[in-house]
Amino acid sequence: MGGEIRLAILGCGEITRIGHLPAAATHPGVRVLWLVDSNVHRAKSLAEQHHLDCQIGSDYKPILPQVDALINALPNSLHTPVNLETLNAGVHLLCEKPLATTAADARSCCELAERKGVLLAVGMNRRFVASHTLLPIVLQERSLGELLGYDWSSGGVFDWKSASGFYFSRKLAGGGALIDYAVHLLDSLIDWFGPASHFDYQDDDWGSGIEANAILQLQHDGQSGPVKGQVRVSRTYPLSNRLLIRGTKAQAEIPSDDPDSVVIRRQTGQWELSETLRLPDFPHTTTFYKQLDNFVESIRGNQKLKSNGWQALRVIELIEQCYANRRRIPEPWSEVSSAPDGAVR
Amino acid sequence: MKWRNQTVFVTGATGFIGGRICERLVLANVGQVRALVHSPHKAARIARLPIAMPGGSLLDRDSLRSALGDAKVVIHCGLGNARGIVRGTENLLAVAAEAGVERFVHMSTTAVYGLTPPPGSETEEAPVRATGDNYCDNKSRAERVVARFGRGGMSTVILRPSIVYGPYSAWSIRLVQSLRQNAVALIDGGRGACNTTYVDNLVDAIFLALDNDASSGKTFFITDGEAITWGDFIRAHVAMLGLRDPLPEISSKQVLAYYKQQPGLLTGSVRATAQVLRSRQFREILLQIPLTQRLLTGAWGWLESLSEDRRQRVRSRLGVRRPAQVAQATAPIPDPVDFATQTGTVFFRINKARSVLGYEPRVRFRQGIAMVEQWMRHANYL
Repeated sequence: MGGEIRLAILGCGEITRIGHLPAAATHPGVRVLWLVDSNVHRAKSLAEQHHLDCQIGSDYKPILPQVDALINALPNSLHTPVNLETLNAGVHLLCEKPLATTAADARSCCELAERKGVLLAVGMNRRFVASHTLLPIVLQERSLGELLGYDWSSGGVFDWKSASGFYFSRKLAGGGALIDYAVHLLDSLIDWFGPASHFDYQDDDWGSGIEANAILQLQHDGQSGPVKGQVRVSRTYPLSNRLLIRGTKAQAEIPSDDPDSVVIRRQTGQWELSETLRLPDFPHTTTFYKQLDNFVESIRGNQKLKSNGWQALRVIELIEQCYANRRRIPEPWSEVSSAPDGAVR
Repeated sequence: MKWRNQTVFVTGATGFIGGRICERLVLANVGQVRALVHSPHKAARIARLPIAMPGGSLLDRDSLRSALGDAKVVIHCGLGNARGIVRGTENLLAVAAEAGVERFVHMSTTAVYGLTPPPGSETEEAPVRATGDNYCDNKSRAERVVARFGRGGMSTVILRPSIVYGPYSAWSIRLVQSLRQNAVALIDGGRGACNTTYVDNLVDAIFLALDNDASSGKTFFITDGEAITWGDFIRAHVAMLGLRDPLPEISSKQVLAYYKQQPGLLTGSVRATAQVLRSRQFREILLQIPLTQRLLTGAWGWLESLSEDRRQRVRSRLGVRRPAQVAQATAPIPDPVDFATQTGTVFFRINKARSVLGYEPRVRFRQGIAMVEQWMRHANYL
């Protein structure tokens, strides 16, 4: 497939507005043929903002025969049914994360894509920051020494202006901070250190709500040997927003404000030396553009997908196990004794 | 009234007080909780709870009708914009009246007496007068709307808490951030009355106002009942941060003298406008327009051709002057709202809440601060 890829984008919410559409509208190998949203006014307004001469619709099924590829940026609960329809029609698919809200659904999508011989990419755009490629190089060189552990936190007061507000419905979103934020972190960690062999999971869902905070202890037994670490994500608290990997010789940090770098720090005598690693000639395009470019070039057979369905499935499997084995994060400040004297603990 | 098996409707639920009310309603196993959500992105805290979160706006009665559902109890903490405080309260009361709501608890504030309540406002019977502050005056107007519906037959209760603090409170978050930036000074030695109200004490008062039919039609001050000063409150946060240096101090007199030297609204606006007009960024924007580019280039050339003396005179006429020198401040200057809030002398009395509601603050200041500290450490603020 050498010509322009005819693309449809489903779902014109915030992620499409700030990520997928700016990438698609500027990619020379892509022609946005359709913008689809239940709110056609929103879709039309987005098309106008990007001066796109595309068609607007509210139903994706009739357009599947007209396009080569589709981006599914609908609310999470709609990922699987739309993915299956799309793949079944032989259309290449880039599905926004999470691929599905259950492992069984994610597996169905992967298997169908294989049967149909079409690509299933997943919107793990963190894979397209330079540090995702740099860190395995650091690990392979063993410049950190023996790995002692990692600590990755990501969070702040939630400010995502979701068009549909689906984020706070368990039915529509499939979960909270874990499936929304941690899905990226877990994807990277599994890619670097191998699947989790042990985990311990806590969150602050009070029961049939969705968690704003999640804390996950993990152990991996991959090529880097056994590695333990902690992942913490929050939609309510300003966390440190960095990954720190501690080794016997040095530590590596991926700062959130510069994810295209890896900072190595080591103690030499009284001095703490640091060096910042970067990839040479790394393009200054957005991760969404790089992700789309990888998708397009993979359709053309020039590249391999950097984030495919099977990789996403491993993450969904872990998330599903976490939810099934969750413990409550202790919140002693929230507890009020029901004792007759009413003493607050 | 027996309300715990009923549906309770909460407004302002995405805020600090409303969020805690929802948590406490869940802990109390109340029949059902319906929390009005105006801005879904702010709902992360209450989305953890097994409650319904209907969307809607206090300014839209239809949305309120739908959001209220079958609730017979309303706890109204919602604010919205200045217009929302009064009109939103009126809308909600009207919808509640139509729906036969049996008890309406209105979250007011001691700020109906102003940010610096005058001596004599220690009890609820003190007359409320216009203060000139938008928030304070709108909150007192909202109280009058509640009273009107109360006279019309609805069972209403007005609670007036003061400085409500606890986990998630902006008072503590802001204070810790300001202390880190060395931007806090004790005003007059920190003697101002703080009137702390630990959020769980306030929720206890709400529950008592629902339990107790004698609350109907009445207004209550709700505080911790302790004579906590702003110095106590600020120093408690200093201790959380482990800071050792004594806080800088500033007197009211110094602060007022500083404010006096600041330009007024009109002068300040004119100066700010002149600054914008003279800024490089603004000139660059103007230079994108061919006509203004030509005019400005001509004017700039003319100005440059003048002697230094004449150029200064022209600049002076255009208002290009050095900003007036202000007295060198020896300590951080509080903003006017903080200054007004921290210089009150009135400790509100809670005798009426004690005698009518049976209210007794369960959480003492020391315990409340300990819980705030525990939460702030968990939340990465400390």
